[in-house]
Amino acid sequence: MSKKRFIKLYRGENRMAEKIVVIGGVAAGTKTAAKIKRENSKAEVVIITKDAHISYAGCGLPYYIGGVIEEERELVVKTPEDFKLVTGIDVFTKHEAVKINKEEKNVEVKDLTTEEMKIFPYDKLILATGATPFVPPIEGKNLSGVFSVRTVSDALKIREMVDNGAVKKAVVVGGGFIGLEVAENLHERGIGVALVELIDHILPPFDEEVALYAQNYMCEEGINIYTREKVLSLVGDEKVKKVVTDKREIEADLVIMSVGVRPNINIAKEIGVEIGVTGAIAVNEHMETNIKDIYAVGDCAEHVNLVTGKPAWYPMGSTANKMGRVAGINIGSEGKDTLKGVLGTTVVKLFKLNAAKTGLSERDAKKAGFEVETALVPANDKAHYYPGYREIITKLIVDKNTHRVLGAQVVGEGVVDKPIDIIATAITFDAKVEDLEKLDLAYAPPFSMAMSSTIVAASVLTNKLTGRVKGIGPIALKNRLSELQIVDTRDEGSFMIGTIPGAINIPSGEIYMRADELDKEKETVLVCKLGKNAYLAYIKLKELGFEDIKILDGGMNAYPFERE
Amino acid sequence: MAEINLNCKGLQCPGPIMQIFKATKEAQAGDVINVKVTDRGFAKDIQAWCKKTGNELLDLNETDTEITAKILKK
Repeated sequence: MSKKRFIKLYRGENRMAEKIVVIGGVAAGTKTAAKIKRENSKAEVVIITKDAHISYAGCGLPYYIGGVIEEERELVVKTPEDFKLVTGIDVFTKHEAVKINKEEKNVEVKDLTTEEMKIFPYDKLILATGATPFVPPIEGKNLSGVFSVRTVSDALKIREMVDNGAVKKAVVVGGGFIGLEVAENLHERGIGVALVELIDHILPPFDEEVALYAQNYMCEEGINIYTREKVLSLVGDEKVKKVVTDKREIEADLVIMSVGVRPNINIAKEIGVEIGVTGAIAVNEHMETNIKDIYAVGDCAEHVNLVTGKPAWYPMGSTANKMGRVAGINIGSEGKDTLKGVLGTTVVKLFKLNAAKTGLSERDAKKAGFEVETALVPANDKAHYYPGYREIITKLIVDKNTHRVLGAQVVGEGVVDKPIDIIATAITFDAKVEDLEKLDLAYAPPFSMAMSSTIVAASVLTNKLTGRVKGIGPIALKNRLSELQIVDTRDEGSFMIGTIPGAINIPSGEIYMRADELDKEKETVLVCKLGKNAYLAYIKLKELGFEDIKILDGGMNAYPFERE
Repeated sequence: MAEINLNCKGLQCPGPIMQIFKATKEAQAGDVINVKVTDRGFAKDIQAWCKKTGNELLDLNETDTEITAKILKK
């Protein structure tokens, strides 16, 4: 060691023991470390982290801001002291790993409190460096009152401002999960909240019609949402006062930057660890990088999407923990455990609305080269006669040629995590839509419909694949309103409240008698509340010789655009 | 003035609005229609419907399991 500035060489307690160094101490880092120690109690495992906290519930931060989680300590799963006591792992908080020497097999670490440099030799190194919020390089981003929400410290500062009554108006930049959750929590604290999103809708990974459903819901709850809008700068002197977009200026005492996160890869990249196409560290199914004895887990590492078999990046706690366990087994007991891939399964609560997604969106499936068929089906989470049931809308996406299930999204006030988990399981085992349709799922009125929402959605999709019915999605309909003959098949009262612009009303029971009011040659779309009445009318019109007819997928209940 | 009670619990499609539409057609001006519903979309629907038809929504109450409304036929 020629560099004299290193005062300390960390040797641990037993010089002969295998030395494991983990960089990063939130979900994946602590999981890996703990699992290694459980597999091999003789190994000396240390965790090095810049942060003051380890093993904290990053996903809980928005709820701490909102006061749903009352105290800071509830967020922290384990303190470093507890962690050491329980696991025998040494944790160095406020220590920054600065450089890896892959030949010497050690890590140069700076003690952020004392500025002292330390060297940690390793036999095996685990990179769990996580991800950092991306803050666009705009003017004013360093003003006071501008925050990202990633660490406990971020949340503490925001909560303090809110508790002190210093925030009347807030702007959230970015409509992903964290942004939406923070928006909800700030709103619940009585703060006026505006949200600015660059793309066409909030919830970027979701398909547009599903995301717009959630967006309308958030607007009704009182969040002002501006989409297709770019934040240009933040203005104020010292403290932020307003947000300037390409369309307007919005006053704000607090600005939350939540446009996304980027994997922390610099320390790895410097020593030639391979970075994948997604920009995160490439690992194989054993969590090994291209450099021997160096592993990567959690948000800094890349995954494989099980549907496409291609690299993907899902910075999520659920995936991070699984990667940690796999790495832990492989390092601790020289096993060959694998994580073949993930589906990006996720779920979020927005006020009383729940939204979940697994696998590919329709957009991503098409991008990946699949020819798809989709269904958009409103149903209930319980029997419709059981008090307290709620509607959920399922969007199901399958490969038109093989009928393999590619992805799904479920949104509504009801239970969405059960159906999304059913579908995630089905996709994992390569199910076709016909398999999904025939699943034997638990049923009693308080829990499900006799034909559960997932099965109904699969049945509708099967009807479409077999040519029993043709559908048109809400977006396609909205874009072609003026070209189509639109028939609302609901009762007169429902029609009066609001229908698709330009639609005429013929209740499905009258369709035989009144079919002559329609132009047989014109492309016709049948609309009802959920889809069933339109389907009945569809069958009748087919009998009468109508050929070019479709029903509106998801009915009025899933139609997220303007009504008249 | 008569009071008409409608139990529309469990009705979805066609929904409670169709029942109320029928009931108000048959009712006299000044009659009150009480309705119980489980369809969650009803709260928004009944407000819009009363606005369109000119009937008066005297009361609207939502619990976790049920929505009740009182409508005055004009």
